[in-house]
Amino acid sequence: MSQVNTVLGPVPAASLGVVAPHEVLVSVLPGAQYAYDIRMDRAEIFHAVADKLTAFRAAGGGAVVDAGGMFAGRDVPLYEALSSATGVHIIASTGQMDEAMLGGYFLTPQTNPPTPWPAEKFAKLYADEVTEGMVVPRVERRAAAGLISTAVTASGMTPTDESQLRGCARAAKQTRVPLSFRAGADPLAELAVALDEGLAAERIAVSNAGDAAKPIADQGAFVVFADLDAAVQFARGGYADKTLVTTGGAAVAFGHEVASASYAELLRLVPADLTEQLLIRNPAALLAVREP
Amino acid sequence: MSRINTVLGPIAPEELGFTAIHEHIGYGMPGCELDTTWWKAPEVRYEETVPKLRAFHNHIREYGAGAGGYVDATGICNGRDIDYYKSLSARTGLHIVACTGFVGGDSALPFFERASVDYLYRQFRHEITVGIGGDTTAKAGIIKVGVSRGFKMKELDLRIYRAAARAAVETGAPIFTHLAVDTDPALAVFKEEGLPLDRVLFGHADDGVSQGKVKQDLLTELGGRIGFDTFGYDLELPDPPFWGRHRQDRLNHLLGFLEAGHVKQALVGADANCSPLGWPGVRGHTVNYIFETLLPDLRAAGVSEDTIHTIFVTNPTEFLTLTPGKN
Repeated sequence: MSQVNTVLGPVPAASLGVVAPHEVLVSVLPGAQYAYDIRMDRAEIFHAVADKLTAFRAAGGGAVVDAGGMFAGRDVPLYEALSSATGVHIIASTGQMDEAMLGGYFLTPQTNPPTPWPAEKFAKLYADEVTEGMVVPRVERRAAAGLISTAVTASGMTPTDESQLRGCARAAKQTRVPLSFRAGADPLAELAVALDEGLAAERIAVSNAGDAAKPIADQGAFVVFADLDAAVQFARGGYADKTLVTTGGAAVAFGHEVASASYAELLRLVPADLTEQLLIRNPAALLAVREP
Repeated sequence: MSRINTVLGPIAPEELGFTAIHEHIGYGMPGCELDTTWWKAPEVRYEETVPKLRAFHNHIREYGAGAGGYVDATGICNGRDIDYYKSLSARTGLHIVACTGFVGGDSALPFFERASVDYLYRQFRHEITVGIGGDTTAKAGIIKVGVSRGFKMKELDLRIYRAAARAAVETGAPIFTHLAVDTDPALAVFKEEGLPLDRVLFGHADDGVSQGKVKQDLLTELGGRIGFDTFGYDLELPDPPFWGRHRQDRLNHLLGFLEAGHVKQALVGADANCSPLGWPGVRGHTVNYIFETLLPDLRAAGVSEDTIHTIFVTNPTEFLTLTPGKN
């Protein structure tokens, strides 16, 4: 039976139940952890996220996917404790967002000249987070990542975005976990980059797809909607098996403004006749570790 | 009451003694912590680090100038680790001065990249006057700024320079720069903010890749302090870094500066990593190059003990002493 990588280990895909398939639990704008005026109280963070997960569970929810990647607030030990305490499965992601979100290590390495990272280096960094486990920086590796998540610069794909997208697609193909990316200016061309790495469209979810939603779904990829009305319309237009929904927010955020997510509300707002397809079958199909 | 900020709290300047002005306990580019390639267990870090610091402290004791100072130039986001520095200082007896600021725009993560001059100024001021990372014992003793890769000042670099200048004027903390190239925009900022240039160390004026790009005469004439602070990155090493330089060329560079009568404006360091965080480091290079190679070289070249004392004791002490209201 297909398994899904959760922060507490692999579980059968069929056991996830209702899934919020594309969320961010803890969102930290990189660098905010060093800000003199931002207080990050782990107990407060835990309780704030736990309250949302508990409400989701009470409403019938079973799992939440943290699609924020490895460098924007992901805290694997915290997620483990949250999952244990609330009974909600948490699937965490590897990958990093668009070029502007990357640290200098990837952009201006200590070489002459300072050439940004190529695709193969990103591929290894992220594949290792699946095969060897997600990192607690400089401390240890924990459970396997369940998703590889990245983003393309909104104004257009930079060469480093492309390297990273290729690396993510390569890692997804190799490790059999799915790929999600937030599209930039040309979603179809960006999808083509991921497909060019030999990853099947069915293993890819695209958010911020805009007008390209239909052609993306026609190729077999999933489309992630933050606008629930648009999602419902898309699903009812013949694309129910390719539609995913997100609150577009985060449970807690530091260093930038992000809408406060409610997973229980997401579940409540999805029409009852679409709940099983959008929140159970589609997420399970995407998240199951399987042949690319 | 005059003071110098260290990671274990302020000290009287008289306590500092012989000081290496630009060093690194461990430096890595932001994000390197994600790559297990470079990870080392904490016990390994201590094993690689403590003997070097202890040897430096013992050299200083033999030299006879205080407990000694080690100025760490690892900026915010580059692996600066105050708790670790505190333990190292407490266990070796060496005074460790940590910095606030950034090695350059390249090293400022998105939160700071988006920040205004005013926010960056408040960040630096807080770390100097209140403490670093919620700690109120460890305070930054100096502000790091720098030029991004490519030898050209970027807008973000300059925003950091301006914020640093404002924080320096208010708190009396000095500034040291990563690279002394493309300084015209920096000089304009310091002038506009009213910061005297004897509070600025223009660093790495002696490295191999900056030669021909540093307006050393101008910076000196304006009263700036010049950093001969990459001593030991010698091209004679088995595997030298790209910024390395021939040992004798660097030595001659410093000797020429001293002979020209600028001893009061010279500050010297090794820029060595005790245990690098996100790169292999340079095998065979430690802060102890100062005692084991440089001081013998200086003495052999006829540099007086008075001059050596000025460079390594008097100058760093004056430079690091906070001068609030005077900068």
